[in-house]
Amino acid sequence: MTYRTQFEKELEELKIDLIKMGDEVIANINDGLKSFLSMDGDLAQITIKKDKIVNEYEKIIEKKCLQIILKEQPVAKDLRLITSVLKMITDIERIGDHAADISKMTIFMQENTKPYHISEMEFMTEASKKMIKKALDSFVTKDLDLAYEVINDDDVVDAYFEQVKKTVASAIRNNEIDADYALYLMMVAKYLERIGDHAVNIGEWVIFSILGEHKEKITP
Amino acid sequence: MTLTNEKAFHINQLNLYYGNKLALDNIDIDIYQKQVTALIGPSGCGKSTFLRTLNRMNDLISNCHVNGKILYNENDIYSSDSDVIDLRRRIGMVFQKPNPFPMSIYDNVAYGLRCQGVKDKAVLQKAVKKALVDAALYEEVKDRLKESALSLSGGQQQRLCIARAIAMSPDVILMDEPTSALDPIATAKIEDLINDLKKDYTIIIVTHNMQQALRVSDYTAFFLLGEIVEYGLTSELFSHPKNPKTEDYITGRFG
Repeated sequence: MTYRTQFEKELEELKIDLIKMGDEVIANINDGLKSFLSMDGDLAQITIKKDKIVNEYEKIIEKKCLQIILKEQPVAKDLRLITSVLKMITDIERIGDHAADISKMTIFMQENTKPYHISEMEFMTEASKKMIKKALDSFVTKDLDLAYEVINDDDVVDAYFEQVKKTVASAIRNNEIDADYALYLMMVAKYLERIGDHAVNIGEWVIFSILGEHKEKITP
Repeated sequence: MTLTNEKAFHINQLNLYYGNKLALDNIDIDIYQKQVTALIGPSGCGKSTFLRTLNRMNDLISNCHVNGKILYNENDIYSSDSDVIDLRRRIGMVFQKPNPFPMSIYDNVAYGLRCQGVKDKAVLQKAVKKALVDAALYEEVKDRLKESALSLSGGQQQRLCIARAIAMSPDVILMDEPTSALDPIATAKIEDLINDLKKDYTIIIVTHNMQQALRVSDYTAFFLLGEIVEYGLTSELFSHPKNPKTEDYITGRFG
């Protein structure tokens, strides 16, 4: 027989809210990058506004966590789960900020800027989105291996970032892009790289919530 | 928190039976000096029974018998030459429901010393005052020491019982759910008192309140069906218990 059914229900709701918050930021990263690559100012504005929804989720989840701590006085795995959620929402919120930052770059760019296509930026976006998704999945399914995968996946994002840097440098040398545009490209790449770092943090909190200790990257 | 490794009790393969019923099953545990050890577990798991073996209060139950060893300061308390009166002087006890004697506050605290034959008024007065001060009760009762102890509030009565126990200068204080009949303020006072007392005494407390175990104890033992399932540092046991049964119990999913 299981006791504390209300408590269990509250924990389940918390997980659902976290997934929803995660879905919102993933959509915002998508739209943010899309606005940047296609110079779509309207989409950029919408994406910036949608970041408020992410911020709202953070407040709602934080409030629920505090209520649970107050009412249920959780210990052991329950306490770790709640504290991990409180830490994870901070990272997800920061990811949301970076998605908005990418959209802001779109708005800052001159209308006549000619887009310069760098495939690695799209690869970076896909890889960092996948990391967020994996991190949140690993939390819901308590999948330790998947959480470790997220931490190791960051190397992929970092490698793409290095490639973007080289590509941008060479484009500047060859006068293919102007200095302002090069800066924007690098800023966007850096935001994507930071998104990967925040996903790693989420993965680390998942590991903490399962094991009760902090573990970093595994080197085979 | 200063942890010592000096043992107050070394308990080895302790079994306790009520008639044919095994109530404590192969208990192996060391209890450390000047630390607070909490005993937790569901009702009927043996934690109070275990507490009472430590000063042989179970001797009073006719069909109760014990085997195995309880070494207290390296002496076997169940050996035939063990002095039970002296043992209980050194290992005091406080119960769930405050049980002051129906006499004055002063006489309650002086009772044990008088039983020991102390008659010198000055000695008694000094000892009573010290015990009341140590039990954080003196300021509240210093002007009414001759009044009946039964006129005190529940929380004050419980602190009086603690004063009565410590007047005997024990080494160990056993507490069996000492705050379960008290309101939150009186409970907080007793908990503060436990924190103060552990400088001088080894304290073993049975509690059903997990948060209380977390607040007051250095070590926790989790009892289930007469066995110790897990024993260790309180901070460890409540943050990542090693045994899934412990986790189920402390997170309220046991059953």
